[in-house]
Formats: sequence, C-alpha cells, structure tokens
Amino acid sequence: MKQILKDLRKDSLLLSHKCQDGNLQSVFSCLDVVWTLYDKIMNWSAEKATDPDRDFFIISKGQATLALYPVLIRKGLFSFDEVAEHIGQFDSRYCIQTDLSKFPEGGVENNAGSLGHGMPFAVGIANANKIKNSPSRVFVLCGDGEFCEGTMWESCIFASAKKLDDLCLIIDDNNSVGAMVDMGDMQKKLDAFGFDVAVINGHDTDEAEETFRTIMDNHNGRPKAVIAKTVRGYGSKTMTEHDIWFHKAPNAEELELLCKEVDEF
Amino acid sequence: MRRAFLARVADMIRNEPDTTYFTVDIGMWAIRDVLRDFPDRCTNVGIYEDGMFSIAAGMARRGLVPTIFGIQPYLIERTLEQIKMDLAYQKLGINVVGTGAAVDYPKYGYSHYCAEDAQIIKMIPGCEFVAPGSAKQFIQLFDQSYRDGHPTFFRVSDHPNVNYDVDVEFGKANVIRTGSKATVIAVSVMLDEVMKVCADKDVTVLYYTTLEPFDHKTLAENCPSGKLLVVEPEYEGTLLYDIHKALSGRPLRIEQVAFPREIFRNYGTYDEKMEHYGLTAEAIRTKLDKLLNEE
Repeated sequence: MKQILKDLRKDSLLLSHKCQDGNLQSVFSCLDVVWTLYDKIMNWSAEKATDPDRDFFIISKGQATLALYPVLIRKGLFSFDEVAEHIGQFDSRYCIQTDLSKFPEGGVENNAGSLGHGMPFAVGIANANKIKNSPSRVFVLCGDGEFCEGTMWESCIFASAKKLDDLCLIIDDNNSVGAMVDMGDMQKKLDAFGFDVAVINGHDTDEAEETFRTIMDNHNGRPKAVIAKTVRGYGSKTMTEHDIWFHKAPNAEELELLCKEVDEF
Repeated sequence: MRRAFLARVADMIRNEPDTTYFTVDIGMWAIRDVLRDFPDRCTNVGIYEDGMFSIAAGMARRGLVPTIFGIQPYLIERTLEQIKMDLAYQKLGINVVGTGAAVDYPKYGYSHYCAEDAQIIKMIPGCEFVAPGSAKQFIQLFDQSYRDGHPTFFRVSDHPNVNYDVDVEFGKANVIRTGSKATVIAVSVMLDEVMKVCADKDVTVLYYTTLEPFDHKTLAENCPSGKLLVVEPEYEGTLLYDIHKALSGRPLRIEQVAFPREIFRNYGTYDEKMEHYGLTAEAIRTKLDKLLNEE
C-alpha cells in the first residue's frame, strides 16, 4: 500500500478516536478511490473549491465522511489539527455526516446522512451543468447497499434519458448487500439502464486512475459507472475480520493497534 | 388558477434562462409549445416525485430556479425526506405547485385527498406554504416568492373565491374589515364563505394566503376581543401554533371551521364534502354566533 493511503487511514482513525464515532470499515473501503479522484482525476483544488466550473464530488454514502475530511486536509483545504480539535463537538462544522451549509468556502458539496439522496442530487447538478454549458463533471460515491433505495434507480433512468455523460457514479462495492438481498449483476443492470460501466479493483489506485480517465473521455451521451470492488476495513487486518468495526470508534489502545496494522499492511 | 400558473410557466421558461420546469405528467397540453421548444429546461418527467425533488435540489445547487408541478399528496407526502434533507437542510430553493388541494379530487379517495399539506410543510423549518384564493392572487404570490431561495409550496385550488378577490402580498395577511366583537381568520378559498356571514357583523376579518411564514404581527394587532374563529380549508388546528404564538399571554376563546382529523372515505362532489364537513357559510354563522353570544 502506498504511504499516502496509509497516512489517510491513520488520519481517519485519529479523527474517529477524537470524536468517538464513525463507520471505519466503510471509510477504509472507499478511501483509495476518493483519494484517486481528488489527486489525479478531478478538476479541483483548495484554491478553486468554489470555482463554478470545478468538478463536484458528492458523497452519497455519508457514513464514509471520515474518508472525505482526511483527503480535503491533505489537499490543503483545512488543517488536520483544526478538524481533530472540533470534529463532532457541539458547535463544530465537522459533522460525522457532511453539512454543506457550514462550508461557504467550498469543499463539502452536499449534506449526507440519509441514503438514496446523493445520487439523484448529483444527477441534478449534472443536468444543471448541461443546461448551463459548464465543463464541470460530477463524481458521486455510493454504497452498494444504497441501491436498495428506489431513488437510485429512478435517477439512473433520468441521467440516461438526459444523456448526462459528465456524470460518474462510483459504487463502493464492499459487499454490504451480501448481508441483505441479492442485487444480482450490477454491471448488467447499470448497462441496461444506459450507463457505460467499468469494474475495477477499488484498492488499486493505478487501475482506478486509468479507468476514470478512459471512461470520462468517452463523450457518447451515456452516463458513467465505476464499480469499485473493495473490502470492508481494507488496510487493517482486525477491521477486515471483525464486523463490529462497521460502527465503532477506537479507544486509545485500539487506536495504537489499528495504526500499527495500517503501517504493516 | 391552474391555467394562470401554466401560462406563467410558459412565459417564465421562454424569458428566464435560469428557470426550469418539471411536470409529473399533468398539464402538458397547455404548455405543449414550450415542452417542444425547450426540452432541456421544460420536461415531463413522468410519475416521479421523490427522486425528482433531489434532482431539482441539485439543479438549485447550481443556481437554477426549478419549479415542479404535480398532485399535492404525492408532492408533499411521498417526498417528505427529500424536502427535509435535500431542500430545507441544504438551504436550497425550489417551487412546488400542487393541484388537488384538500379534496379537489373528490371522487378519488384518500390517496388523492390532502388536508394535511400545510401542517406537514409548516413543520419543516425554512419551507414556505402559500394558498392563494384566486388566479390573480396565485400570480401575485408566485411572482413575489419564486426566487426567494426557499422551498416554496403553492396549493392550487379549483374552487377560488369569486366575490372577494383582493390584492395580496407574500407573508402578509389582509385586514378585510375591522370590528370589535371577534376576529375571524379566513384562509385561502374560504374568504367568500366567511364574508357571506361577516360582511355586516361587528367583527374583524383577516385574510391569510401565506400560511408559512405566518404573519403574526397582523393578528397580534387585530384581535382586541380575544375571541377567534378560524376558517381554514385544511385539517383543524393547522394554524393553532401560530395563533398562540401571535397572541401569547392573552386569554383566548377559539372556534374552528375546518376539516376534522379523520380519514375521508366518502366520494361525491367538492360541494358535498364541504357541506358534510361543515366548511359552509351556515356552519361559520353558527360558530360565530356561539362565540359572540358568550360572555
């Protein structure tokens, strides 16, 4: 694992420890893709976080917000110390799920928390971009479990009908629906809904970068979907083996153990 | 009122390039030309309410002014979490215009009735609720609020006032007449019925078309007796919170003419329903007389 990906994971662990909350398995499964988007793909920087033509990152699976803050910190939007000092506190702007209204200087693009909302919201942004002739692209990170919500499929129909090929749906496919219902073949389903679909190893940042570049360059009128095959808790042996880390914050002792595991991964 | 709204939509889409319009598969014929000429900004999205609200919120996030037209219960009840999360919580404004106010589809059953609309929307901070009493008032209220950055819900009625069609202002109640013995609050399409009873009585009549934000000031200044009759075409009690807030600390005696809080399992006509549930001049007279005759 690249050092930056280890550092991001340790930042997430520390933030979770500070606020004593978080869904770390989900954070670790998507962190590599989120970093790749901000570091290699998106037209975005801290200096142009409110630029009207910037690319948008919409976090639909809000339980992974602790993956977003460390990436924005590394990209220079806020300092780690600031976030660590305030996260989850009464008057803080750093909620465990994002709150757009507290970030007038940009960085957070939507409010998360209820699943099935970010995807249609992203479709609306992409549709507006088309109406406004903006080059802005929209990347929306969803969970595989989120596709149990009807609004996800409704917005897929709309995105396809409106030919929103600057929209990229990313599914963090960490097999959470394996514990729920059988969703069948998502690649076939999304293809049938009019999307160009790619399936990648969501922990291989080189493959992710290449795939995003290729798929977004294809302006064929079809919205894009990247199914990132991931592992819950990837980066920590303990977290991949014990689902209690679906929703658990580390105490001081666990923090030390998990950081050590990340270093040795 | 519907025709006035659709004519306004056609005008808006043609002349205001930052506006967008979605119809949930109703009222297409009246705007068929703009549907054809502006397919990117004027769309029949089909039977699709909840996700559509999130999409409209995304468009508002990019500075557009979306307006959605559909049937009231589906616009307000199916979409409740979208209203809370995507609009109110994110402080994004869209306009939602709903037909089928209260019992305007009288033969369709409870699925199409929506006497709870104002109460539901008033519970979500930041949302606005407008219930015009005529086509003229719809246009006045729409024009004053459709770009105000809030989620604004317009209740379009097929049974407008005919005799009393005053000019109205968003967020303000009209003082129709003043008197000393009681204050009558007439909401939306109930003004004609109220005035059949109150035109020659010593009472104050206040006319409300904006139910949220509620005009507390006008009520506070115009209730000298502490006796109130509320006449509203929604479930009873919709405005009680605001009435108590406006008249806080004063002893009050309140009567209501409104729909009872029950599931309506009857059909027939609009007039039959208004008669059955007592939203009539006769019921207004009975309750007002009772109020006026009390010590």
